[in-house]
Amino acid sequence: MTKAKKYWKGLAELNNDPIVEKLRQNEFMEEIPVDEFLGDKDLSSSSTSRRDFLKFLGFTTAAATLAACETPINKAIPYVVKPEEITPGIANYYASTIYDGHDFASVLVKTREGRPIKIDPNKTAVNARIQSSVLSLYDSSRLRNPMKDGVDSDWETVDADITSKLNEIAANGGNIAILSSTIISPTTEKLIADFSAKYGNVKHIQMDAVSYSGMLDANEASFGVRALPTYNFDKAEVIVSFGADFLGNWLNTDYATQYAAARNPKNGKMAKHYQVESTLSLTGSNADDRIQIKPSEQAGLLSNLYNALNGSTADSRIAKLANDLLNNKGKSLVVCNSNEPQVQTLVNAINNILGNYENTLTLSSPSYLKKGNDTDVATLISDMNAGNIDALITYNVNPSYTLANADEFNTGLAKVGLKVSTSLYMDETATKMDYVCPDNHNLESWGDANPSHGTYTLMQPTINPLFNGRQFQDSLLSWSGSDTKYYDYLKNYHSDNWEQKLHDGYSSEVKSAIILKKINAVTPSFKLVKSDAIEFEISEKISMGDGSGANNPWLQELPDPLSRACWDNYLTMSASTARDLGITNWNISNGALNGNMVNITVNGTTYNNVPVMIQPGQAVGTVAMAVGYGRTAAGKCGDGIGFNAFALGNGEAIIEVVGGEYEFAATQLHHTMMGRDIVKETTLADFINDPTSGNETVLYATHDGNKPADQVTLWDEFDHSTGHFWNMSIDLTSCIGCAACVISCHAENNVPVVGKEEVRKSRDMHWLRIDRYFSSDMTKELSAEEKISAIDMYAEMEEPSANPETVYQPVMCQHCNHAPCETVCPVAATSHSAEGQNHMAYNRCVGTRYCANNCPYKVRRFNWFQYSENDKFDFNMNDDYGKMVLNPDVVVRSRGVIEKCSMCIQKIQEIKLEAKKAGKTVKDEDAQTACSSACPTNAIVFGDVNDVSHEVSKLKDDPRKYDLLEHLNIAPSVFYQTKIRNKA
Amino acid sequence: MILIKDLKNRLGLLAVLILLSTNTFAQTEGEQIFKQNCTACHTIGNGRLVGPDLEGITKKRDATWLSAWITNSSELIASGDADAIAIFKEYNNIPMTAYDFSDKEMKSLLEYLAIEVEEDVATAKVGTEATSKGMSSTTLLLIVAVVLLLLIFVLTSVKNSLKESLQQPTETVFETIENFFKAIWANSPAVVALVFVVFIILLKVAFDAMMGVGVTTNYMPEQPIAYSHKIHAGDNGIDCNYCHTGARNSKMAGIPSANVCMNCHTYISSGSTTGETEIAKIYDAIGFDVKTRTYIEGYEQKPIKWVRIHNLPDLSYFNHSQHVTVGKIECQECHGAIEEMDVVRQENDLTMGWCIECHKETEVKMEGNDYYTLMHEKMKEKYAGQKITVDKIGGLECGKCHY
Repeated sequence: MTKAKKYWKGLAELNNDPIVEKLRQNEFMEEIPVDEFLGDKDLSSSSTSRRDFLKFLGFTTAAATLAACETPINKAIPYVVKPEEITPGIANYYASTIYDGHDFASVLVKTREGRPIKIDPNKTAVNARIQSSVLSLYDSSRLRNPMKDGVDSDWETVDADITSKLNEIAANGGNIAILSSTIISPTTEKLIADFSAKYGNVKHIQMDAVSYSGMLDANEASFGVRALPTYNFDKAEVIVSFGADFLGNWLNTDYATQYAAARNPKNGKMAKHYQVESTLSLTGSNADDRIQIKPSEQAGLLSNLYNALNGSTADSRIAKLANDLLNNKGKSLVVCNSNEPQVQTLVNAINNILGNYENTLTLSSPSYLKKGNDTDVATLISDMNAGNIDALITYNVNPSYTLANADEFNTGLAKVGLKVSTSLYMDETATKMDYVCPDNHNLESWGDANPSHGTYTLMQPTINPLFNGRQFQDSLLSWSGSDTKYYDYLKNYHSDNWEQKLHDGYSSEVKSAIILKKINAVTPSFKLVKSDAIEFEISEKISMGDGSGANNPWLQELPDPLSRACWDNYLTMSASTARDLGITNWNISNGALNGNMVNITVNGTTYNNVPVMIQPGQAVGTVAMAVGYGRTAAGKCGDGIGFNAFALGNGEAIIEVVGGEYEFAATQLHHTMMGRDIVKETTLADFINDPTSGNETVLYATHDGNKPADQVTLWDEFDHSTGHFWNMSIDLTSCIGCAACVISCHAENNVPVVGKEEVRKSRDMHWLRIDRYFSSDMTKELSAEEKISAIDMYAEMEEPSANPETVYQPVMCQHCNHAPCETVCPVAATSHSAEGQNHMAYNRCVGTRYCANNCPYKVRRFNWFQYSENDKFDFNMNDDYGKMVLNPDVVVRSRGVIEKCSMCIQKIQEIKLEAKKAGKTVKDEDAQTACSSACPTNAIVFGDVNDVSHEVSKLKDDPRKYDLLEHLNIAPSVFYQTKIRNKA
Repeated sequence: MILIKDLKNRLGLLAVLILLSTNTFAQTEGEQIFKQNCTACHTIGNGRLVGPDLEGITKKRDATWLSAWITNSSELIASGDADAIAIFKEYNNIPMTAYDFSDKEMKSLLEYLAIEVEEDVATAKVGTEATSKGMSSTTLLLIVAVVLLLLIFVLTSVKNSLKESLQQPTETVFETIENFFKAIWANSPAVVALVFVVFIILLKVAFDAMMGVGVTTNYMPEQPIAYSHKIHAGDNGIDCNYCHTGARNSKMAGIPSANVCMNCHTYISSGSTTGETEIAKIYDAIGFDVKTRTYIEGYEQKPIKWVRIHNLPDLSYFNHSQHVTVGKIECQECHGAIEEMDVVRQENDLTMGWCIECHKETEVKMEGNDYYTLMHEKMKEKYAGQKITVDKIGGLECGKCHY
């Protein structure tokens, strides 16, 4: 040790400045006002010392801890008078109808203790949006009360005001207009007629957000019936669609079921499907042959096709399909998405010369799902602007958002004397109204529908209205001065066999066919034009539709089947167009997708900083954007996402590249299979020759020669010989990627919504995802032929083709019988069941995530947050209303645990219990998971392979059956059937 | 201990055997019909409720009359039958509910009513005694302690007498104990061993205490209405399912809604132990004017907030109907002798260990249930000679209760 040195703290100390000594004695120059600070002058004289304070603190903490050990007192509160039909713990199902002006479905509503919690198909398939509507019921953004001038009011005031104003208008001979969506309810039509009779001068105008007016007008011109044809895709052997996304959104009718029936390879034939389109649609991605065109070429090609069918030469792009059509007269179908009456008249003529009417389509018993009339809407807007409309009542429409000329509508609206909206939300239109008389949700309403000739469905409430709303029909009755309730009105109208109709949810009657006018001859005059301009087209997403469900978090987080992005809309563009413009998409270090942005101007409307998504399959020189986004008054989830494509309309686009990066939330970041056989596929011709084609078994070289994987296993077999052995078959030929199963799974299993930021971090919680792969121009065969190096080959394989073939593959937990996850769990939280499922005990899980790392299918999802108790996730689970949709039979998982598909174990347990109680075996049709029951094409088949009466037991022995990642030999309980394309 | 446990099982088995042997099939069916439909208003030998005591009714009236009355009493009254009119008047002009029983059901019901009441009581007594618990472990420990203490005295006296015979100085019992401890204290390995044993015991006590957190056996909260299961299910013999309707077909057994109480209490407004105070609480909840015996129009009903006794955590799924209807388990097996409880208490600890214990021992009721037929044949081969218990059909798998 050296001698201690003296270090001066400063010159002042060295110089022995008196201040140093003063500071040493008194650290603080000024006296600290402790008493003042504590606000109690007597505090320092108090007998409670600091030690005492700490003792008290310690005691309180200990006491509180001890008190917390006590079991809380739970109350059990039964009904005072129990409704006869409710047994707590048992679900009730009600047949009903969902119709929101856009989508229609005859449904079964599952209710638990009086709460609707799930929507299942009844007579028609139910798409993702209809399944999600059960969550929209519990949307806390819905209007709670009738509004007058933007302020809460009550029904008496609002009714009195409206009635007196209507009477005044009627007395002065003013004009009243009702602007509604398509009305398919016969009683509502009658009510509107009653209302018109009372006030006179009432015009009823119907509009569809996505208009089919051109098609309706064409049918009126051709046949004298302003309705939609009933299509029979199942009877067609050649299907040609010019842009019509009939598997997705076109006409909002379920054609997928028919389409799958027409394309069952087991019958040895599949309908040949041609799609001629510019934007890759769900339908186009399923086509056997997809021809890319620009939107401006559509009419010209149809003319060319018409002439070709009459003997002239076809354009080289459509020569093959024209030939196929000619060879399948009466067994073919041509559909088109155009909203131009002349184009649709031409399509009618084409179907007519092919003899398809009364075979694959008919107008003599038509569909009434769309009735909107663009001309009427245009007249209304000009009348409004001219000041000729004195009262406007809107129902089920949001024209200020969905109209391309919304500005014109809004200016006109300002000139209307009495403005009444019946919207459920304070939406874009409702905010501009004097009165908002909130309608009830479909699940709270009575109603009926006449979707097609001779078919009727009924709608019945499954819950008491949550808010102080009133259904539109009751409002109309009230304003017509009637005391009748709509329920009585409806019951009276359908009085014949009411109970049975209500129980079934639908009824049909034999109605004589409508006598049609004879179709006129046409002389198609459209020229095939060649334009160099970039053309813009509006598209429609599976999730968002027309945007009325924009505030539904399930739909916002549903990845688009093609781009796999959610929470967004964007401009889709082909890779080559993007390259020309210098635009790219790239992945950042954590894998998330970023992209460039552009300013786009279409028809005089400009949007700045629009993100561009490079979409394989988008025709060169075209761009597209989905409608349903860019809402400004949808609610907390839907506002401010993306741009309103309705306002742009179809047309030529001026694109200007701007700086900046845009952050996408995509759930799949690779687009091709890189030469692996994740999806095994073959062609129909090869399949007929050899049913196992494309399904080669993986062989391993052993001392005893090559052996399939299951003979070189290290695993001990599970004994599945007794009891059930639940398996699932997924047919990749019938799967169209519609995502109905994904939402069904959400609703059934309380899957949380995590929001865009979390999805970007790959923390999405979907138990079931639909992987989408595009084909690439580069294949292993090609590289061998052209002697391309492996590095170049794989680099090129990453790039999808410009017009790729697409495959969809639903992937959920595969329930491996030799599960890699089970062996690595340190706490045995995941274990195997004798019935073939991989169980997950959430309460046992400690969150090591070893299982997720060891899962080759990446289907295990980790709960990073307690999504149900965290205000950062302001979606349905953090909302008192939104919580009501939760399935009480499934646990809401907490933070720090892994969750995954359970194969709907709650449903399996339930059907087993029902069978045991009835003393019967489990029937095939009862064995359903959420995904299998929602599948419109029956691609997902679930059942017990130990019971020969179950379809899945046959599918397990099908030559097309294969296991995903078969070479790993982990014996999944979920298996796939090879994809078969009808191509040469 | 093994022996004791075995003894308990045997006693239980004995009780079941006795119950089975005294009841033939027809009587069981009749009893079932009686309990499910009649006990709300009638007793056998326990006095009149809403309707008359049915003790010896089959001797008083003939079978044809009885079945006519049960099928539709109003019709019988209207037909001018003197007996029928007399009964109707005697019981405040309250018509009896009409029951549409099949001939077979009616026959078994009447047969059941014809059984001597004494026999019924005797059976019940045997049953309750036999199902009562064996010796508790505390008593057992006390006996062992006493025996051990006695042993010390006996051995000391033996030692002393030996010492006496060797003419060595004798010791008192206390001196012996003292010397014993001194010897141990001097022996360090013994001290270490002792400390180790004490440590282990303390650990075990701590572990048990921890495991006991959240276990609420014997939880016996005060309820908003002093409802007695003993009076209803015990004395009046009302079937459990009459009120807990969900037990047979739902996940929850369910607490009856007040309107179920009113099925009987419309007429019974005074109880045997609490008089009118407790029953008045039902009237208060549902809005019933006991003076005019009518429901009050526009009454704001007040739900009865019962305190939940059996709290299974949310993470475990339990279904009553699986156990009651399919497993054919008596309510008492989990809930204890409810029919003897004035205030209900939690009889079992409801821990996972308790569930598993039962699943390991309980045989699956496969006979006569077609759901199991095919499975049963295969299972018999697979587990030849063994009992097919719940765990053998997957009753111990995590996912069966946790999802």
